[in-house]
Amino acid sequence: MQPACSREMQAMDSLLNPTHHLPLQDLQIHGHPPPQFDNPTPSHDDFLEQMLSTASFPLSSSSWSDIDDNAFPQGGDGGSNPFQAMKMMMMMQQQLLVAGGPSAAATGGTHQGGGEGSNSITSMQALFNGFGDGSFSHPQPSFGADSKTDINQSQGPAATTAAPEKPKQKVRARRGQATDPHSIAERLRRVRIAERMKALQELVPNANKTDKASMLDEIIDYVKFLQLQVKVLSMSRLGGAAAVAPLVADMPSEGGGDCVQTSANGGGVSLPRNSNGDQPSSANDSLTVTEHQVAKLMEEDMGSAMQYLQGKGLCLMPISLATAISTANSHSRSPMINHVNPNNGANGNHLLLQSSGGGGDGPSSPSMSVLTVQSATLGNGGVDGAASVSKP
Amino acid sequence: MNKYNPPRMNPSSLRSRFATRFLRSLSEINAQKPTASSSSPTEIFRRYRRIKVAADKSMAYSVRSRRTWSRAMLWKLRTRPCGRRSVKTSTIVRKTRHEKQNKNTTTATTTGEDGVVSGVEADELRELVPGGEAMDLYNLLDETAHYIKCLTTQVQVMKKIADFYSP
Repeated sequence: MQPACSREMQAMDSLLNPTHHLPLQDLQIHGHPPPQFDNPTPSHDDFLEQMLSTASFPLSSSSWSDIDDNAFPQGGDGGSNPFQAMKMMMMMQQQLLVAGGPSAAATGGTHQGGGEGSNSITSMQALFNGFGDGSFSHPQPSFGADSKTDINQSQGPAATTAAPEKPKQKVRARRGQATDPHSIAERLRRVRIAERMKALQELVPNANKTDKASMLDEIIDYVKFLQLQVKVLSMSRLGGAAAVAPLVADMPSEGGGDCVQTSANGGGVSLPRNSNGDQPSSANDSLTVTEHQVAKLMEEDMGSAMQYLQGKGLCLMPISLATAISTANSHSRSPMINHVNPNNGANGNHLLLQSSGGGGDGPSSPSMSVLTVQSATLGNGGVDGAASVSKP
Repeated sequence: MNKYNPPRMNPSSLRSRFATRFLRSLSEINAQKPTASSSSPTEIFRRYRRIKVAADKSMAYSVRSRRTWSRAMLWKLRTRPCGRRSVKTSTIVRKTRHEKQNKNTTTATTTGEDGVVSGVEADELRELVPGGEAMDLYNLLDETAHYIKCLTTQVQVMKKIADFYSP
């Protein structure tokens, strides 16, 4: 019987827990998770009246047997009703407590029995005190259920009715919760924060919520990325910047990724970097460092960012343009072109650097820049992004 | 002849409000453009700052004062070009007003609990979201969600404007 009751109690816990109302103790018996219960309020009044009436009785097994007789028909009726089941459990537990008491008192023998008996007696007195005090009427039934489940789960199926902590019985509400308002508020706060995190998770693209800390990191990175995007877009408003020395990039809308891409014109700087053994990874690392520095510089002063890029022999251009260039140049200088795939998962949101080696030859770079301008004008027919690329 | 009817847009949505304001401010900036030659990096930088400020301002105005971050941003934009003294006094006033909220934040910097987030990342988020310095974590997350939504709208509108005007 006890394991079944504990299961039902757990079901009730799970039913009652998701509700977010403040007075959780009141939820126990009142009609708040009421869709599951039919007529909880009248039965609640009945229940309370019953308990109060028993409280007035002296501690005797006869009264408890009366309760049993009253309780079991109710329990039989509402056997399927978890609320009724809980009441029945309550009755049974108290009966057990009482049974433990008198028997222990009668025997007075074993230490455990005596301990239990004294425990149960004081617990019952605490119960009665609680019932007498109207304000504690609410936690009481939940307390009973609580200690019942605790007993069932912490002490196993043994019929030891030793109440866990006697002086705290009066205020202990439910399993896993406390009537301490601070902890309740804390718990509610945590739940609300979890809700907010879930809502944020939908907004932020990288939405694998492993834990809160990494989710927060993702959110922070995404906010930074969006702010950077606004900055770069406002750079592109400078309109007609083809004649301007530092350049301007626009975010192409295709490709699924909002990436700013830089390509290398000067070959001398990029070549040693590209000739490393494991090309993609090393290029990635050095490029990532570079792009972070560029991002930082762009926040402070655009001019210095441009100068930094120029020093590296880089310029900004959209991805589509760069791919157009690479395909155009593939037959002539493919071995020197090194691509970083823009839309890999990890780099999806970040700035991208692509270096295409210019071979370090002077005469080729003007032609390359010419090519870029040409492909820019040609490619804009089908490409949304517009960029003005100029030779640094 | 070439009448292009754009698809019906909700005139009171955040996007349309921001778009109208931003275009208006852009045209104002464009009117000022020929005064200085825009070849030097500093000029470009100045213009870029102006456009960015215009974008932020139009976004904040579109949101009015409904959100803490928009209020903070508007306040920041207003007091930016003005003298520094007013900035300091108002900052102090703001901080004292929100001190009781700060108490909540100090208690909430514990790690390890399943719902409570570490204080370091929350502080970083506070720096990013305008006006987030004096908010507890719960409101901060709320503001962040709205801020992200507005930022994405801003980026989309600016992108579309750029696409429309540059070629």
